[in-house]
Amino acid sequence: MRRPLIGLTAYAQQVQYGSNDLMAGMLPMTYVRAVHATGGRAVLITPDDPNTDVLESLDGIVFSGGGDVDPAYWGAPRHPETEVDPARDEAELLLMRGALDLGLPILGVCRGMQVMAVVGGGTLHQHLPDVIGHERHRAAAGTDPLAADASAYGRHDVVVQPGSRAHDLLGSRLTVNSFHHQAVDDPGAFRPVGWCPDDRVIEIIEHPERSFALGVQWHPERTPDLRVFAALAEAAADRAGLRPAAVAA
Amino acid sequence: MRPIIGITTYVVPATFGVWHDLPAALLPCDYVTAVREAGGRAVLLPPDDQDADVLARLDGLVLAGGPDLEPGRYGAASEPLTESHPERDAGEFALARRALAMDLPVLGVCRGMQLLTVAAGGRLDQHLPDLVGHEKHRPAPGVYGELVARFAPGSRIEALMGDDRTVHCYHHQGVADPGTLTVTGWADDGTPEAVEDPDHRFVLGVQWHPEVVRDRRVFGALVAAASRAAP
Repeated sequence: MRRPLIGLTAYAQQVQYGSNDLMAGMLPMTYVRAVHATGGRAVLITPDDPNTDVLESLDGIVFSGGGDVDPAYWGAPRHPETEVDPARDEAELLLMRGALDLGLPILGVCRGMQVMAVVGGGTLHQHLPDVIGHERHRAAAGTDPLAADASAYGRHDVVVQPGSRAHDLLGSRLTVNSFHHQAVDDPGAFRPVGWCPDDRVIEIIEHPERSFALGVQWHPERTPDLRVFAALAEAAADRAGLRPAAVAA
Repeated sequence: MRPIIGITTYVVPATFGVWHDLPAALLPCDYVTAVREAGGRAVLLPPDDQDADVLARLDGLVLAGGPDLEPGRYGAASEPLTESHPERDAGEFALARRALAMDLPVLGVCRGMQLLTVAAGGRLDQHLPDLVGHEKHRPAPGVYGELVARFAPGSRIEALMGDDRTVHCYHHQGVADPGTLTVTGWADDGTPEAVEDPDHRFVLGVQWHPEVVRDRRVFGALVAAASRAAP
C-alpha cells in the first residue's frame, strides 16, 4: 500500500553548506520527518517552476514557513520590517489557489497560514510588535522556545474555539512555539478558530467548507506534537482512497 | 500535464537567512531548471528509507550528485578519504532498485551513476587521483574539471551528445567495475564517464554534471522517455 504523497513548499535561495555557496531548493528536515512520522511521503515543491500541474500528483500539501508575503497582494504599502521573496510568493499563491480549487487537503504552517489568509482575500499585520507592543511571538535567534529553561519569548498558549475542527483535533488549549513577526489580521474566506489569549493574535484558521484546510501560526514540525501533520496525512489518505499506516488496524 | 521527475536531495547542515547549520534537504537549483527547460516538472525527494512507494506517482527519476557511497555496499572497507552518508544511501538504493524493477526511466548524475553501478553489482575506486595520478576530475573545492569524453559507437550517450563532447566533472571516486551495466563513455585516462543498461527503456548514468549547463540533450532524453512512460 502506498503512503499518501504530501507536497511541501520549499525555499529556493542562496545557501552555504560545506565549501559550497549556491542557489538551492531547500527545506529544514524537521518538516520532512514530521510528514514521514505521520504516515505520509514527503516531496519538496520548489518555487522556481511556478505552475499548478504538480498538484495532480499530490494527495495533500503543506505550505511551509519562510519570509513575509508581499503586502501588494492585499493592497497595502510595505512596512520597513517586511522582507519579501517575490518568486516564492508567486509560486505559492498559485499553488494555494490551485489546491483550494482542487479540494486538496492543505496544512499551512506560519508563513503558510498567512499565504492562506491572503489567498482567501484577507490581510496581514506586517509587524506584530507595532500592534501588540511586545516581541513575545518571536523566539530569540537560535533558541528552542519550548525548552524547559527558555525565556517567555517565543512560547505561549493558544485557546481553541469549541465546535471547530481544530478543537476536535487539538482540544481547547495548548502551548506552542512561535517564530513570527507578522500575523493574520483579516482571515478572509477562512475562519479564525484559535488565538493567543494574551493578545488575541490569531493562531489557527480553518476553511468553513473545505474538507481539510487548516493553518497554524506556530511550528508543529519543531515539536513532538505532530497532530496537525497526522490529520493532514489522514485527510490525504482518505481523498486518495488509502488508509494511513497510523490508523491501519 | 508535464511528466513528473523526482530528484533525490542532499541532507546537509545548511546556513541561510537567520539560520545557521540547520539540517536541511537541499538540491542545487540547476537540477530543477534543467528538468523544467527540458519540459518536465521536478519534485525533490528527501531521503526516506521506509519505502520506494513514491515512484508510483513519478514518470522519471534523477539520482543526484552528492557524497560517497558507503563502501560496504560493494563489499569494501572505507578508505581514509571516503565520506559517506548512510541515510541517503538507504533511501536511494531502495529507489534505484524499485525504479529498475518498474522499468521507470532513470538518470544517474555523478554519485547517481556510481549508485546505479553498485546497485548493478559493480564496485568503485574510492580515490581516483591514487589511480590516475592527477586531479583533473576535481581540480579544487567548488571548481569543475572540464574534459572531452569519448563515447562507444552506437551507444545512447553517443547519439545524445553528438559532436560536443565537453563535460563538467566534480568527483574523486570512479567506477571500477560496472556490474551488469555497460560502460559507454570514458575520459582520456580511461575513467568511465557513462554507463547504460540496454535491457531497460532508459537507464543512463553520467559521471559528469549535465545540470550545470542545463544540458537539454541529457535531460531532454530523460523527459522524453518519461513522457512515453506516463500513463
